Amino acid sequence: MVTLDIELKALKENLLEMLDLVKDQLVKGKKALENSDENLAKEVVEREKRVNALELAIDKDCENILALHTPVATDLRFVLATIKICGDLESIGDITKGLARFIEKNSKKSSLQLSDRFKIGDMIDGCITMLEDMGEAIRKEDTLLAQKISKKDSVLNEINKNAPKVAAELIKDHPEKLEVILKLFTITRKLERIGDFIKNIAGEVVFHIEARVLKHGKDKERG
Amino acid sequence: MKIIEAIDVNAYYGENHALTNINIEIKENTVTAFIGPSGCGKTTFLRMMNRMNDYVEGFRKEGTLLIDGKDVYRKKVKLEELRQHVGMVFQRPNPFPKSIFENVAYGLRIRGVGNKKEIEERVEKSLKKAALWSEVKDSLHKSAYSLSGGQQQRLCIARTLAVKPSIILMDEPASALDPLSTSKIEELIAELKQQYTIVIVTHNMQQASRISDHTAFFYLGSLIEFDKTNVIFTNPANKQTENYITGRFG
Amino acid sequence: MSNATVNRAIDLLFKYTGIFCTLSALVILAIFLINIVSEGLSRIDWQFISSLPSRKAERAGILTAWTGTVWILSLTAIISIPFGVSAGIYLEEYGRKNRLASIVEVNIANLAGVPSIIYGLLGLEIFVRILNFGGSLLAGSFTLALLILPIIIVATREALKAVPKTLREASYGIGATKWQTIWYQVLPAASGGILTGIILALSRAVGETAPLIVIGALAYVPFVPTNPMDEFTVMPMQIFNWISRPQHEFLVNGAAAIIILLLITFIMNGIAIYLRNKWQKKINW
Repeated sequence: MVTLDIELKALKENLLEMLDLVKDQLVKGKKALENSDENLAKEVVEREKRVNALELAIDKDCENILALHTPVATDLRFVLATIKICGDLESIGDITKGLARFIEKNSKKSSLQLSDRFKIGDMIDGCITMLEDMGEAIRKEDTLLAQKISKKDSVLNEINKNAPKVAAELIKDHPEKLEVILKLFTITRKLERIGDFIKNIAGEVVFHIEARVLKHGKDKERG
Repeated sequence: MKIIEAIDVNAYYGENHALTNINIEIKENTVTAFIGPSGCGKTTFLRMMNRMNDYVEGFRKEGTLLIDGKDVYRKKVKLEELRQHVGMVFQRPNPFPKSIFENVAYGLRIRGVGNKKEIEERVEKSLKKAALWSEVKDSLHKSAYSLSGGQQQRLCIARTLAVKPSIILMDEPASALDPLSTSKIEELIAELKQQYTIVIVTHNMQQASRISDHTAFFYLGSLIEFDKTNVIFTNPANKQTENYITGRFG
Repeated sequence: MSNATVNRAIDLLFKYTGIFCTLSALVILAIFLINIVSEGLSRIDWQFISSLPSRKAERAGILTAWTGTVWILSLTAIISIPFGVSAGIYLEEYGRKNRLASIVEVNIANLAGVPSIIYGLLGLEIFVRILNFGGSLLAGSFTLALLILPIIIVATREALKAVPKTLREASYGIGATKWQTIWYQVLPAASGGILTGIILALSRAVGETAPLIVIGALAYVPFVPTNPMDEFTVMPMQIFNWISRPQHEFLVNGAAAIIILLLITFIMNGIAIYLRNKWQKKINW
């Protein structure tokens, strides 16, 4: 086995570890939301540090691999994709931390039940499934699975589209909870963005394996 | 544990001041690459470690060069022992005009190893370690020149390994070889590092970055920078080092 | 005429001049050989080779001459080879390369060019008179050994020089001593060249007459030499002796003997060339 292969294997494992961690953060976040669990939410906030540390480590490893081994072709695309994917994962982690902070601050109030109306739980479920699929796709280098993402993302988009209407209704019915409702509204927007990030990740996976660029609506073979 | 140590080493070829105040420590079981433009002194310094410079007219040195804590240039040194301990692989493969077997056995025979079985075992072991055994085991009696360039170089490595050195010096070992042979040699170096300490002079910077743990950059006889390879190639401390590795000079 | 045409013309001129010179030399050699062979071939038979010389041409043979040649050749070889090769090894491998060394090198080459009769005079004084060997095989072979020593030394040095530095480096790098490197690597690698040089030197010795005459080799030796102190004659001397006689039969004898001598020389040179080619193929630096 060439040393580069060993390095790439380790890099992939680190990436999957980060993905699993981010996914786990979402799982815990959802639980904290359902049970109004302030402590669990605090845990999620703390663990975000680990996500950041992993991002830095993966970035450093990619830099080293590029400098020391000058990879080409598929190996090069893998390293480039990994840099972008771990950036996306870090952004997802950030959003999850924001959600956990909100839960931490508002756990005592009953306002968390309003999140049901926004279908935030469903959205988080959607994100979790999408991340699981992404992990599978990366592990097995399965571009078909990666591309199926867009279907699941549209579910999130639907819910998100509905959000302004829901918000308007809630404000009418519970004007005293205006702040919370607005915050929840923001959260739906952010969760929809998680979907976008995961879609990016799918695009990077396809780039790595097939050298095709999916973003910005272009689907062309790169030379 | 530092195994090679240079303290204020200077070297001269007649009037030419080839090395200036070299200070370096090389640790056991590491691969250290010496890089730098032609004439920078890296080969001179390498050859001081097994005193191959002794054969050059007008060579003299100052300072101390220690291997395993002992001065390489001390009065009572036995060159035969030094070179058994510190082996060398040269730039162009230079097998002896003898059979493959005899090439590897030479180092043993000149040291008086007479037992036929022992020689056979050690030859086989060395050829295996040099990843050459499977290719030559049925033609050990054939001339070494019947091998390809890459195979000849691995034969030279096997020849060095047969006398059980602890340090292996390599002077641009793959520069005369094609890319496939080069990569075989590099794989071999990665394996050998577990048992030996390797110092390799190379003009090929990608090679240095691929296989070494530490890199030393030489320029005009001075040691400009010596650090972990991943530091040298991602963020060298010295501007000259950066200029050299980015190909802006040299 | 353009430059190109002039150059081409000069080219052709040189080519044809070269062919002419080569052919002339070959033609002259061919004439000589044909002449000799036609004169003497018929005379060669077993009786010729195995008979002692005689005043009667039909009965005269070259037995003592060629046995003398063989003796001289063998003794000269035994004396000159060890000295010459060892001196060559010492000068090339152990000698320090300073001004004295270059003076020595030049002078050894000079010695190879000294007229052989001078060696004869040297041999006469030292071996025949001072050491009291008399006009014997021993004196003759010591004298010839001195004569061809420079040739062997130079050939040895050249052969050693031709062994590439990388071979020695490899040997030293493994920890061999200087002597081990010379004995196990350099000498075997140079052996073809050294051997070639030795054979060429000996084939020169085969043809030397003047120094042997000076030290007292006889022209008429009616017995086969049996030990180194015996008196002797050699082929060239026998030939000279015969062709100085007026009788035609002796001229024929002379021609026949020349053929034998040429045969010996050709064979020796042939062996040298064969060995050199074989050696060059084996070592491909």
